[in-house]
Amino acid sequence: MKHDFELKVQAWLDGELPDREARRMGELIAHDSEAAALAAELGCVRQAMFRQEAACPLGDSREFYWSKIQRQIQREAGVRPADGLPWYARWRRYMGPLAGAAALACVLLLAVVRAGSPSFDEISSTGDGMEAVTFHDQSAQMTVVWLQDKSAAAEDQPAPKIIRYEDEPGTVIELE
Amino acid sequence: MSMDPDKSALMEADLVRMARQGDLASFEELVARHRDKIYARAYSMMRNEEEALDLSQDAWVKGWQRLAQFQGDSSFITWMTRIVINLCLDQLRKHKRQRAESIEAMEEDGGVERQMPVIHPNPTAGLERVELRERIDRALAQLSHEHRTVLVLHEFEELEYKEIAKRMKCSIGTVMSRLFYARRRMASLLAGLRREGSE
Repeated sequence: MKHDFELKVQAWLDGELPDREARRMGELIAHDSEAAALAAELGCVRQAMFRQEAACPLGDSREFYWSKIQRQIQREAGVRPADGLPWYARWRRYMGPLAGAAALACVLLLAVVRAGSPSFDEISSTGDGMEAVTFHDQSAQMTVVWLQDKSAAAEDQPAPKIIRYEDEPGTVIELE
Repeated sequence: MSMDPDKSALMEADLVRMARQGDLASFEELVARHRDKIYARAYSMMRNEEEALDLSQDAWVKGWQRLAQFQGDSSFITWMTRIVINLCLDQLRKHKRQRAESIEAMEEDGGVERQMPVIHPNPTAGLERVELRERIDRALAQLSHEHRTVLVLHEFEELEYKEIAKRMKCSIGTVMSRLFYARRRMASLLAGLRREGSE
């Protein structure tokens, strides 16, 4: 028997042939003892297996079996199934962390801006026998420091020492 | 034992609906109801308890992640069974890549099955249901992965040739051929088991 014919016998048995061809195959099998024997053998296996899958109960307890599934679900996708949520619910999940990050960025930005521009215009610092006054002019990008020695030895010298610093690094001009 | 008595009384459709809304407890109840069936399908295809256990659990994780795609066209258990079958087929393909091609070619051609005389009479006639199941299970264990898979999908899942070909990513002709040799081998194995039993 040719293999193609064997496969057709099987397809006839499984109801996979179109009606017309199935009728023709039925007639052929009825008149061919070899084909009939093959159909009977295949049919027996088919019939024997029909809904005869062996019961195969799990040995693990319900809790133990579930625990691995639960861990994997929570690790891979979070508790909620992302695909099942509407778009606004999915966005809402990210809004909290995004808002927090934005607020933190604002605070940091403000801190950086404030640190960049000195908040003083004039500072006075006095040491032992020495007085220092600092003035910062932002428009001129200039810092002026007055130093005055008030110790007894210096009382005879009336004029204070003035030092002017340009804000550009490396340029220092001393004036008297 | 039920973890949530309120859930155990619910209808399956309600549990699926609640699970789709993110209720993990409802999904757990669905797992508890169908875990044996999903595991059994994985085991019948893989014939390895550890692998079947892992794949059945992976199938539930995938089921949870894809719940939105479940439209209710088939029952929930049918939908879940398809997921576990696909995972098993992927796993079998991995095994296949690891096997020598000569062995694979031998299985595809049907080997000795083509030369076997037709088994007569019915090798399973007169067997009790439990005994029949046991013999089928033992015979299935002796088939190649390809032959066993096609039999499981056709006889247990009741899928058509076209659907099996789609799932196994092969032609309908290959499905027909594999199914033919698988049945012939099963007939031979069942007859052998019958002779062993009567001796």
